[in-house]
Amino acid sequence: MFELDSITAGYSGSVVLRDVSLWVPPRSVVALLGANGAGKTTLLRVASGLLKPSAGRMRLDGVDVTGKPPHVLARHGVCHVPEGRGVFPHLTVRDNLTIQATGGSAAEAVERAVSAFPILGEKLNQQAGALSGGQQQMLALAHAYVIDPSHVLLDEVSMGLAPVVVDEIFESLAKLAASGCALLLVEQYISRALELADYAYLITRGGIEFAGEPGELDGDQLTAKYLGTPLRS
Amino acid sequence: MTDLLPFLVIGLTTGSVYGLAAMGLVLTYKTSGIFNFAHGAIAALAAYAFYEVKVVRGLPWPVALLVAVVVLPPLVAMLMERVTRALAGATTTMKIVATIGIQLIITGALLAHYGAAGLTFPAFLPADTIELFGVYVGIDQLVSACVAALGALGFFVFFTFSPLGVRMRAVVDDPDLLSLAGTSPFAVRSWAWLIGSHFAAISGVLLAPLIGLDALLLTLLVVQAYGAAAVGLFASLPMTYAGGLLIGVLAALATNVVSGSVVLSGLPPAMPFLVLFAVLLLAGKRRLVDIGATRPTPPQPPLLGPRTARIVALVVIGIGIAVPFLVGAKLPVYANALVFVLIFSSLQLLVRTSGQVSLAHAGLVAVGAATFSHLAVGAGLPWLVAVLLAGAVAVPVGALVAIPAIRLSGLFLALATFGFGLLLENVVYRTGLLFGASGSLPAPRPDGLGGDLPFYYVLLGFAVAGVLLVAAVGRSRLGRLLRAMADSPTSLATLGLGVNVTRVTVFGISAFLAGVAGALYASQGHSATGTPFTSFTSLTWLTVLVLCGAARSAAPLAAAIVFAVLPAYGGGEADGSSGWMPVLFGVGALLVALHESSARRGRSHVSAEWPTGSRAAERIGSPGRAAARERVAHRDVDSAVRVRVGAAGGAR
Ligand SMILES: Nc1ncnc2c1ncn2[C@@H]1O[C@H](COP(=O)(O)OP(=O)(O)OP(=O)(O)O)[C@@H](O)[C@H]1O
Ligand SMILES: [Mg+2]
Repeated sequence: MFELDSITAGYSGSVVLRDVSLWVPPRSVVALLGANGAGKTTLLRVASGLLKPSAGRMRLDGVDVTGKPPHVLARHGVCHVPEGRGVFPHLTVRDNLTIQATGGSAAEAVERAVSAFPILGEKLNQQAGALSGGQQQMLALAHAYVIDPSHVLLDEVSMGLAPVVVDEIFESLAKLAASGCALLLVEQYISRALELADYAYLITRGGIEFAGEPGELDGDQLTAKYLGTPLRS
Repeated sequence: MTDLLPFLVIGLTTGSVYGLAAMGLVLTYKTSGIFNFAHGAIAALAAYAFYEVKVVRGLPWPVALLVAVVVLPPLVAMLMERVTRALAGATTTMKIVATIGIQLIITGALLAHYGAAGLTFPAFLPADTIELFGVYVGIDQLVSACVAALGALGFFVFFTFSPLGVRMRAVVDDPDLLSLAGTSPFAVRSWAWLIGSHFAAISGVLLAPLIGLDALLLTLLVVQAYGAAAVGLFASLPMTYAGGLLIGVLAALATNVVSGSVVLSGLPPAMPFLVLFAVLLLAGKRRLVDIGATRPTPPQPPLLGPRTARIVALVVIGIGIAVPFLVGAKLPVYANALVFVLIFSSLQLLVRTSGQVSLAHAGLVAVGAATFSHLAVGAGLPWLVAVLLAGAVAVPVGALVAIPAIRLSGLFLALATFGFGLLLENVVYRTGLLFGASGSLPAPRPDGLGGDLPFYYVLLGFAVAGVLLVAAVGRSRLGRLLRAMADSPTSLATLGLGVNVTRVTVFGISAFLAGVAGALYASQGHSATGTPFTSFTSLTWLTVLVLCGAARSAAPLAAAIVFAVLPAYGGGEADGSSGWMPVLFGVGALLVALHESSARRGRSHVSAEWPTGSRAAERIGSPGRAAARERVAHRDVDSAVRVRVGAAGGAR
């Protein structure tokens, strides 16, 4: 269980999140929706410790982890796949995986990553920056397989990828969820995210507007009302 | 060719040590974003530690070596790591000031304790020579070169293949991502500082036998190192080592070429600067990106309202007029201080108004002093004309260094000006262009105003005019442009060329003031010499000005008092650049830099009381399926919320 309680946070001079509470129960998939600039990325950055909240508490399996740095949270099972490409572009794929393993066996890390994304096996000695966008995203996602995280925070991992690659990524997310770790999912493919999700949160301008089961969110209404364009899926 | 071979071998042996030092510098810069101006000072500290243990305490050399290269570096690294951590988010200027502060602390302490005269460094390696490719080489040199080469190679292997090395490269790519992967970037940086400090210490101990134990010379190792680093574009480690070799060889060859010429004898030490300068000129903006660059802080609001400020200014001028009747025989001290008001004003214009750092300021002042003498005595021009022309001559000299560097980040301007100051000092001061071989030129005072008292008032007039000029620049369109640059990074990008022209203009005005100040300094002292205007002086000035930053626009006045008046009442030091004063200034500037960066971080912290935008956002009381849910009425949602084009469209 990962609990964010009344979080207020922001960047130099501007508050982005105001009094946001969000819970990720064990073994569940939580979708976090919201328009551009609503504060989804900011919330995930708070959750993984990259951004210190100015108010509010965070608890991980009952333990207060407010203000803990990211590497400590990571070692406690929080795995954040950040927005953009979560890879070290000038390092080889193998080196990227070694780092993801957090001191664990590099060989085992490679083995796990390759069994999740076989294509990575062919690219081990290539620079990560030279991979295709989809392959980079798989490498970033491999982090969740290389370690055994209790909570995975995913920030638009499908962004800018070809539909087949998106399918592959969503399949792997489903597998990840089935393996028992909890997911906090920020996605632009709203309907696919909601299919996967047990709970959904809608965030608007830094505040939670809706929290509940995906079924209660009417997809068409959601997009029409909150996101401005109809959903075509 | 065979004539050159010995120089080539010597060049490669010293170059190897430069390369090692430079690799340490690049490593710490890449991993932390802090360019360590104190890198050479660390080398000097290690060499002196060796000297202290071996010569002063009389212990055997292995003990000395142990202290210098095993015990000392971790202590230094710990300090550097703490400072780096505290400097997170600081402006480029404050990052530069902080490590310059450390350099001043170390070098100043060494100078104050051991004296400025070079000491003999105890040879600890066998001094026999062996023949290598037909050249006789000292075994000690050979050992130095090999130790450095092995260190460089070993480090390269470590950096490329070891898990920690991989993480060091990762921290360069993306420290946040590294921390998400469970490794603390701070821990990795500590290791980088440890290795960097070791490399500095080792190169200090290896170089000291070659160049003697001279705190200033050893400190300037950082210059060789940054010349080498420039060859590697401040990024590539192997190229950096190669750059070290190149600089070693160029300097040795230059020694051969200029041997016999007193005038050119400064050329070899100036080699690294010439290399750096060439790189700055040739490498594009894209390839020389300052890793640690941040945008400048907008200038702080003035302490006083305009009316009060005007009254205070008048009172200060009144005190200035009254000073000669209050201080008796100390009048020359105050006359000098007035010159320093001008010097610090010109520095203030750069550092505070436009966020640029010049480390060649003493050089520009010296140019003004010498030019004045040439014009007033040599060409027989009237006093005032000579003073103003001396200022005018300093402008193109300043532009020469500013133009290639200014389009790059503030760090590179600082590096270029530092190197340029050294070049002036080592090569040009002794030529006929400036002070000539004797090092001193006559400097007259104006006819009829030559007495100490009337000349004091002449200086007061110049000081007031200078301060007014700087204030006027701050309030002019130029000043507004500078503030806009500090406020908004986008305007900085869109203004494009305008920004560079603005910066060069400000640099030019600043150089003019510095030149005029040089002329006045010479006139006040009846002679023009380069002795008070070393690169070390430039560093001291910068730290004093930063130290007095709290006085805002009165900082030049405060700095002049601290630098030129207080020492006269203290331990009898000539001015603030002698004795233990630089150490104090270094400490002060370091503290100010740390304080300013923490204040900046504080500003970026958001208070919880920030007005909330009265959205009908509801908190969720409990999780799970039974959670309280709130559906927000749609009337509450503005149409302003837009969606990324691909968001819904992509979900075919
Ligand atoms: N590093 C930053 N510094 C200052 N403001 C920021 C920073 N990052 C984000 N913001 C601001 O915070 C707000 C929320 O940004 P955030 O990235 O959390 O949105 P998001 O919901 O992830 O949007 P998107 O769907 O576009 O990714 C925005 O208004 C943005 O301008
Ligand atoms: Mg985002």
